[in-house]
Amino acid sequence: MRASKTLTLALAAVATIAASVGVSAHRMDEYLQAARFGIDPDRVELQLDLTPGVAIIDSIVREIDRNNDGTISSIERDAYVGAVLVDLSLSLDGRALRLDPAASTFPDVDALRRGEGVIQLRATAPLSHVANGVHSLAFKNMHRRNLSVYLANALVPSDDRVAINAQHRDEAQSDLTIEYTLRGNRAPAKPLWPLGLFAAMAALSVVLIRPLLN
Amino acid sequence: MDRRFRTAALTGAALCALLATTLVAQRAATPPANSIAGATAQIVTASQAVLAALDAAGRAKVQFPFDSPQKQKWSNLPSPMYQRDGVRLTDLTAAQRESIMKLLQVALSAEGYHKVRDIMKGDEVLRTSSSGAGRGGRGPSFGELEYYLAFVGTPSTTAPWTLMFGGHHLAINLTMAGSQATMAPSLPAAQPASFTVEGRTVRPLGDENDKAFALINALDAAKHKQAILGSRVADLVLGAGQDGRTIQPEGIRASALSAAEQAQLWDIAREWIGIANDAFAEPRMTEIKSHLNDTFFAWSGPTTNGSAAYFRIQGPTLVIEYAPQNTVDHIHTIYRDPTNDYGAKIARK
Repeated sequence: MRASKTLTLALAAVATIAASVGVSAHRMDEYLQAARFGIDPDRVELQLDLTPGVAIIDSIVREIDRNNDGTISSIERDAYVGAVLVDLSLSLDGRALRLDPAASTFPDVDALRRGEGVIQLRATAPLSHVANGVHSLAFKNMHRRNLSVYLANALVPSDDRVAINAQHRDEAQSDLTIEYTLRGNRAPAKPLWPLGLFAAMAALSVVLIRPLLN
Repeated sequence: MDRRFRTAALTGAALCALLATTLVAQRAATPPANSIAGATAQIVTASQAVLAALDAAGRAKVQFPFDSPQKQKWSNLPSPMYQRDGVRLTDLTAAQRESIMKLLQVALSAEGYHKVRDIMKGDEVLRTSSSGAGRGGRGPSFGELEYYLAFVGTPSTTAPWTLMFGGHHLAINLTMAGSQATMAPSLPAAQPASFTVEGRTVRPLGDENDKAFALINALDAAKHKQAILGSRVADLVLGAGQDGRTIQPEGIRASALSAAEQAQLWDIAREWIGIANDAFAEPRMTEIKSHLNDTFFAWSGPTTNGSAAYFRIQGPTLVIEYAPQNTVDHIHTIYRDPTNDYGAKIARK
């Protein structure tokens, strides 16, 4: 009875939003999946933002809120993260990498139904014994391909030993290959000797000029 | 008689001298209106006029602490889908709304003010027109009065504060800190992207579109190939909610363009940078041009004007994206400074 009432209210809410917003609003019938990759010498981090349109939200909420109680429990959240990660593949130089969930945030069901909610996932893959040189990180997103539009990008590396050379994608951006170069050492810090030399010269000038002023 | 005349003359001379000294001193203390500090002072005065026009409840609604999360509360979505805070135009009297429009006229350039007004008029078209209704546009969520003003921090000529104005398809976030200012991040968007008002065709983002198509079509085959991305970009990559992220730049380097092509590129960027008061825009243009070697222009989609195509201009202190939403009649754009969004750099000083 309660589930039926919740479903009725949810359908009414979707109908209201759809009627007032129509196609004039934003990405009504698509699931936007935006992936970003941060590459470090010893690990890769995936940030994945999932934004379901209000016209398809029912099917997405059904997958997440499995007991249909209108809230997303930690068990349901973890299960959905796991289901998404299963549909992703990541490899380095042809060798498969395992993506481990690191963090996730879910908006409440009402926010999702309003079309406002963004589900944010973070997952990491450790990289061990990666040699210096050029590497190829390949990503494939097969989650809800029937509904989705994709974005996939490399972030500017935070470690200067990593330099992105190129990004290659398929037309839909569900596949992304990032070519990058790993260098062994950090770029040398800016030398401090010019500053020291300037300070020494300033001190010497004071010593030499002071007698002339007296 | 002579004595009284002498006294009056001396008093008059003394008063004139005092007045002249005061005027000179004021001129020395008041920065010229075309400087950043001068423009900020004018905006502060206009903001204080808004505050004076509001009642106590309105003043409480419009004001937020500078370090509050309010500054990140903006979106391209209409208000029922995304709840904004601040004072909403539709809840105000005509005089109060007028004071806000005067503030925007001071804070923005003439072109920027027209662009903002055109974006708002587009939302009014969504609300009222039969075409809008046909697309589901009728309803309380759209309209030129569904826009919000907020002050994040107290309007000041010295301390940092942000003027936020926005609603559906619009977010203007203008942060000022004494003699420095930034309008990043801001989101001008449009739907419909072309409409008629009193017999005049209005295209809020028409110049951005046309100038970008002109540039991509000016490039020779080799440059064209470098600029084109081999994939569809369905939406903004660094839109609302993407603060603090910097993606790897792609496309053709600005330094690989001819001088004429570079001028076209900067002219496109000016469409966003020039929304702000001219005093803010000019130094910003100089700054982005100084990063010529590290600025990129990327394109995705058809290159025939009238088609839906995405483009991006990205440099160390600049991100501009233009992203049609499956159609030329619905455009999202974003303007960012990865080093200075919300005045991160200038508010520290």
